[in-house]
Amino acid sequence: MKRTTTILSLTALLSVAAVACTDPTVAPKSTVSSANVFNDPSAYRAFLAKIYGGLIVTGQRGPDGNPDILGIDEGFGEYLRLYWYLQEMPTDEAVIGWNDPGLPSLNTGTWGASNSMVNAMYYRIFYQVMLVNEFLRQTTDAKLAERGHNDPTLVANVHTYRAEARFLRALSYWHGIDLFGNIPMVTEDDPLGAVPPAQAQRADIYAYVVSELNAIVNDLPAGGPGMAATYGRATPAAAHMLLAKLYLNAGVYTGTANYAGAVTEAAAVISSAPAYSLATNFRLNFSADNNTSPELIFTGAQDGGNTQTWGGMTFLIHAGCGGSMSAGNYGIDYCWGGYRMKQQLYNLFAAGDGRSSFFYTAGQQVNVDDIGNYSNGIAAPKFINKKANGDTAQQRGMVDTDFPIFRLADAYLIYAEANIRGGGGNAANALTYLNLIRERAYGNTSADFGGLPPVDTILAERARELMFEATRRTDLVRFGVFSSAAYLWAWKGGVVGGQALPTGRDLYPLPANELIANPNLTQNPGY
Amino acid sequence: MRRLMSYLGAILLMCGIAPATYAQQPTGTIRGRITDNATQQGLPGVSVAAGGRSVLTQADGRYVIAGVPAGAQTVRAKTIGYGQATSDVVVTAGQELVADFALTATAVTLSEVVVTGYGEQRAGNITGAVTAVTDSQFNQGRVISPQMLIQNKVPGVQVVDNNDPGGGLSVRIRGATSVTASSEPLYIVDGVPMGTGAGGGLSAGRDPLNFLNPKDIESITVLRDASSAAIYGSNAANGVVIIKTKSGKGHSRPVLEMNTNASASTVTKVPNMLNATQFADAVATHAPARVDSLLGQNTNWFDEVDRTGYGQEYDLALSNGGENMGYRLSLGYQKQNGIIRASSIDRLSLGLNYEQSLFNDRLSLSTNVRGARSVDRFTPGDVLGNAVGMAPTQPVLDPTSSTGYWDWHTTNASPSNPVASLALASDEGTTWRSVGNIQAAYRPPWVEGLTANLNMGYDLTKADRTTFYPNNLAAQVRQGQGSLYLANNSQGSSVLETYVGYNPQRSVGPGVLDLTGGYSYQQSHAEYPELRERGLTSNLLGDNGIPPATNVTNTKNVTDFKLISFFGRAGYNISDRYLASVSVRRDGSSRFAPSHQWGTFPAVSLGWRLSEESFLRGMAGLSDLKLRASWAQTGNQAIGDYLYYPTYTFSDALSKVQFGGNFITTIRPSAVDPDIHWEKTNAYDVGLDYGFNGQRLSGSVDWYTKNTSDLLFNIPIAAGTNLGNFVTTNIGSMKNHGIEFALDYKLLQPKTSGKLNWDLGFTASYNKNELTDINPNKSVSRILTGNISGGVGNLVEVLQPGVPINSFFVFEQRYDAQGKPIYDVTTPTNMYVDQNGDGIINDSDRRPFHDPTPKWILGHSSYFSLGKFDGGFTLRAYLGNWVYNNVASANGAYQNLSGSGMPSNLHASVLTTGFVVPQYYSDYYVEDASFLRMDNVSLGYSFDLKGQPFRLYGAVQNAFTLTGYDGVDPTAGLNGIDNNIYPRSRTFTTGLSARF
Repeated sequence: MKRTTTILSLTALLSVAAVACTDPTVAPKSTVSSANVFNDPSAYRAFLAKIYGGLIVTGQRGPDGNPDILGIDEGFGEYLRLYWYLQEMPTDEAVIGWNDPGLPSLNTGTWGASNSMVNAMYYRIFYQVMLVNEFLRQTTDAKLAERGHNDPTLVANVHTYRAEARFLRALSYWHGIDLFGNIPMVTEDDPLGAVPPAQAQRADIYAYVVSELNAIVNDLPAGGPGMAATYGRATPAAAHMLLAKLYLNAGVYTGTANYAGAVTEAAAVISSAPAYSLATNFRLNFSADNNTSPELIFTGAQDGGNTQTWGGMTFLIHAGCGGSMSAGNYGIDYCWGGYRMKQQLYNLFAAGDGRSSFFYTAGQQVNVDDIGNYSNGIAAPKFINKKANGDTAQQRGMVDTDFPIFRLADAYLIYAEANIRGGGGNAANALTYLNLIRERAYGNTSADFGGLPPVDTILAERARELMFEATRRTDLVRFGVFSSAAYLWAWKGGVVGGQALPTGRDLYPLPANELIANPNLTQNPGY
Repeated sequence: MRRLMSYLGAILLMCGIAPATYAQQPTGTIRGRITDNATQQGLPGVSVAAGGRSVLTQADGRYVIAGVPAGAQTVRAKTIGYGQATSDVVVTAGQELVADFALTATAVTLSEVVVTGYGEQRAGNITGAVTAVTDSQFNQGRVISPQMLIQNKVPGVQVVDNNDPGGGLSVRIRGATSVTASSEPLYIVDGVPMGTGAGGGLSAGRDPLNFLNPKDIESITVLRDASSAAIYGSNAANGVVIIKTKSGKGHSRPVLEMNTNASASTVTKVPNMLNATQFADAVATHAPARVDSLLGQNTNWFDEVDRTGYGQEYDLALSNGGENMGYRLSLGYQKQNGIIRASSIDRLSLGLNYEQSLFNDRLSLSTNVRGARSVDRFTPGDVLGNAVGMAPTQPVLDPTSSTGYWDWHTTNASPSNPVASLALASDEGTTWRSVGNIQAAYRPPWVEGLTANLNMGYDLTKADRTTFYPNNLAAQVRQGQGSLYLANNSQGSSVLETYVGYNPQRSVGPGVLDLTGGYSYQQSHAEYPELRERGLTSNLLGDNGIPPATNVTNTKNVTDFKLISFFGRAGYNISDRYLASVSVRRDGSSRFAPSHQWGTFPAVSLGWRLSEESFLRGMAGLSDLKLRASWAQTGNQAIGDYLYYPTYTFSDALSKVQFGGNFITTIRPSAVDPDIHWEKTNAYDVGLDYGFNGQRLSGSVDWYTKNTSDLLFNIPIAAGTNLGNFVTTNIGSMKNHGIEFALDYKLLQPKTSGKLNWDLGFTASYNKNELTDINPNKSVSRILTGNISGGVGNLVEVLQPGVPINSFFVFEQRYDAQGKPIYDVTTPTNMYVDQNGDGIINDSDRRPFHDPTPKWILGHSSYFSLGKFDGGFTLRAYLGNWVYNNVASANGAYQNLSGSGMPSNLHASVLTTGFVVPQYYSDYYVEDASFLRMDNVSLGYSFDLKGQPFRLYGAVQNAFTLTGYDGVDPTAGLNGIDNNIYPRSRTFTTGLSARF
């Protein structure tokens, strides 16, 4: 009897086990499936915030530990830090002494197609584009209706969010064509995981970006000085600013200049309401409380307590400190001893220019004879993690200062340059705008321009006003002197006195890995 | 339904050929038991023949031959490794008679029973490449992790330890098979699979198998070739390690075993840094501005952080056995201090094995339960790097500082005092792990030869880790302001396996058949809650509390995993001469989407014992010659969970994004390939087993090749195709091929006791790995890997088709006439070879250059005894393993003296190279790390005290190492990057064991 029971139970166990448990599927627990996540209507805002954050934070753990993109050190792989490297280091403005992969050849303009910084920038740009595309796919009216999200306020908000997402895509595509030229153009209509995309012409992407911005400019949330609810978000003024920059450089992107467009769009920025104005204190724009500046149009918002990153302003403030500088004076914990000015930039500043008041010269020499030595080149700690009145920020390690992406002074300079270049508008206004900048710099009218200066003076003024704000390479390319021998600076081309760069250096190469992963791509000439 | 086929098929097959009893002429029955003449234990699987009928003995050695024609018959009993025995009997119709045999072993190595997948086999009949190592052959001395017992003992097996006491071990069997998925073997402990990854489980930071007291292990069997491993399907691509613990079987009275030992470990080598005088000279020359900050002391920072590490171990085991039962209860305690201060392991382990036979041996039950608590203390992570970098001219103590230790007064990045970190920081873990199971085997009387097995097991782990750096440490003052990390990870797994084995009692055709079929269900649930704090407001609670802090993040990650399998195997044996085995396993893994979950893994192996053939049978001295050939396909799914599943991940409290006036917790979509599926390895093995003079000389030769395709590979993807720039997908292929030799020779085998007895063992294995393909569309592509210290994001290794994985990827250094590396930063082409001739030195001029894995692994073991003395030693040599000396490359440049921080000590290589700017990518730092090491030498003396046997023994581990490598240890981990690794110790152990 006992035996029979044993046999029976064993047999039963065998067969039950074999029949019952044949499905190995398990569902994730600590992440939310894409099918469920949008059941919560707040997910739309959370997703859009991620795309904004893509300019500043590097992943889902602050300041590091869960990165968005791989193949590069997480802190190096931050969007605006990479953009800064690519826009500043090969120019007459900055030099950095670190030997980390990719950096030395950026100092000298001798990068190759495997340069890890160049590669990471390319992937950051497309990371943003792909997030936007996915966001647009997930937020169509049909999708909202499908999920029963019919609340009119929510629907209206989502419409605004979609416009903001398209602005962010336009911004990244602008970076893409400015840095790389012909790149793939992928939109929300291209499904995920499909075949590698085709390469589009720079001019076609330019046209697409312009049309996108024009299509959404009036759907963006209203913003301006004092409007905290849209601080850090894309406003109509931000879209006009981006259009102004696109038009100003249209000759580079398409072969056909559009200075009239630049004047119109810069004027739209200047006349937007509530009106932006130059901050009385120039340094407010670069301080821990720069979110209160009436001048900033669009920023990458950072916060020591909430939005932590090794890129963005954390990098710019720490790396601009070195030598005998005391970290505490800049509101940070310690100096990274990274970038300084090349002598060409330093020599642009005349005595009395308040924009050089923060230069740090003790123990520093003007000429950059040795890139690796921090004492070569005057230090310029333009960005600071202290409030403009000297008060401390939340923390010393992670900074509160926001990255100024667009500010009014740039709109003034665009207006003036485009006017001088024959873009129309009002020449008197152009002169006024320039002198507003000069007067703030000098604290009086002593350095005012008597009349509109030649356009080359604008290039120098842009360096003085916008130094280290990641516009320099684009400006030098527009003026035709980035890679030519017409203007030489220290270490250009890899020699201390400077030499012309090889042909094709006005563009960065498409990543070598990308050419393998995507056989549709043709490398830029010269690489 | 299809996945049931193999299972049902096996059952149907059995039913179809179940013997029917019939009688056409008067017959009788012969019954009996076959035993080993020496041990009196029953011998299973012995072929017993009479009157044209043959049967196999059961597990207890019993047999029954029914239907034997009446009259005079000869009963023959025969099995491999034993001399044949015969007995003449007279069978009476309708009667039963008893014929017992005691067989005498002729070649023990062939008759040994080896545990293989879901069964046991005699060693001589195995058709795959399988090596069993039993406790008498284990490495002696201080052993914390079980894997170390067989280091050097098995051809084709590389055991890589990290020198930390009980530290995480990696095992490679016949090379790495994957890039992104694990290349670790599957561990089976008493029938319980340990999960995937190194050590097969979770731990607080040391080896997960440390829960297993090595003293409790009876044997470790390594299934090297794919055909023997394939029955385990998933993860078997990397081989299988089967660990069997000791049982109480074989004892007839309670036996108490005691073992105690004490050990002392010393440092063998530390990095070759400048001494105080050399350092001061270098500063005077290269950073004169810093001369004033040097304090003229003479501090050897490694002397300050290392020590003699003492250890002690106590083991007690009580075992007893009877006719129907056996048990073994064991208790172990081991405490070992590391040779770097603050590191130690403290382990308490308990084990119980219990076996019971019921119903005339028809039902056997066994249970194995063991658990351990291991308290692991780690050297704080910054200590070794600071012992390298801290200037030797500076003192250790400073009574005026807040810590009491001297440190640089600077806000710039600089080395900090490692002794302060040892004293004030802490890094501790506790791992609780218990593994146990109940196994039942039932042999129903209605089908002789049928065994139904049930195995239910569990594996529970709780691993806590606390890392604490107070805010007054110099490095924390500069950055971080103190940190606390808490993790309370846990994992619970269970396994249910049912399988039936069937050995038809009569021959099927000319041979005997052996069938196995079954089902396995494994599931695992893991939780990883973590707390991270930076900016501590107080140090007073140390690592015992959670102080308020400026930056706090709490995260919790939960994962689930399931693996469901159906498997079957058929073995066929014709007179121990022609052997064949076919198996198939079908696995379903939760790590793939429902449409890709299932993989089928077949295997075929054949054996031909040439020595049984008439043309060789008479050959003098030849005792065994067997040719083996096998093919198998195995799978690998040892990747993270949910990599196919599109999900959204929340940001933590410190990566929120400002949106208008609010800080928003964001969501990030994952980049996945929903179509990922099993990585597959096709493996071929041809082997020869040989033995002479009654196996006095025996061994094997194996040639193998393994081709892994559909590599699970986290690769860069085309921009604009997914929500990230890397995706884990199936792409590319890899190849390993090699040769293995094993030879055992009983060199001196005296007939009389008291003379020298000496056994020798040699192993030699060659493996060549090659990544054959990454991207099928293009012939050239590469992925950089191998992160080093020094700078940020420098990668010195490459994954590139045509070369071994993780080959070094470096510039070719030029040397001057004196053999000194040329340093010329202004004209880099003078310094490095311009490989592509374009006149500039950039990434395009780096090329693959050697790789970290040894091409040849040679091992020798000697065991000897003379009277009351016994002893042994093992030697190991690696040839063709290269190491990147990262300590030299990161610290071998004068620029480290003159940066914005305070000067850092330099590696002595700078005196040769004269590098000012670090040259991380120079192949000067890639060194040949071939070595010869005496891993182990031991001596024991046995004596009786009041009738009880005692053994006194001593052992030295890492007695010497001969190598040309300049760094700390030529076995610098799997990836061959020597970056402030834990130094290797030399360990002296003395111990006493006794039995009562």
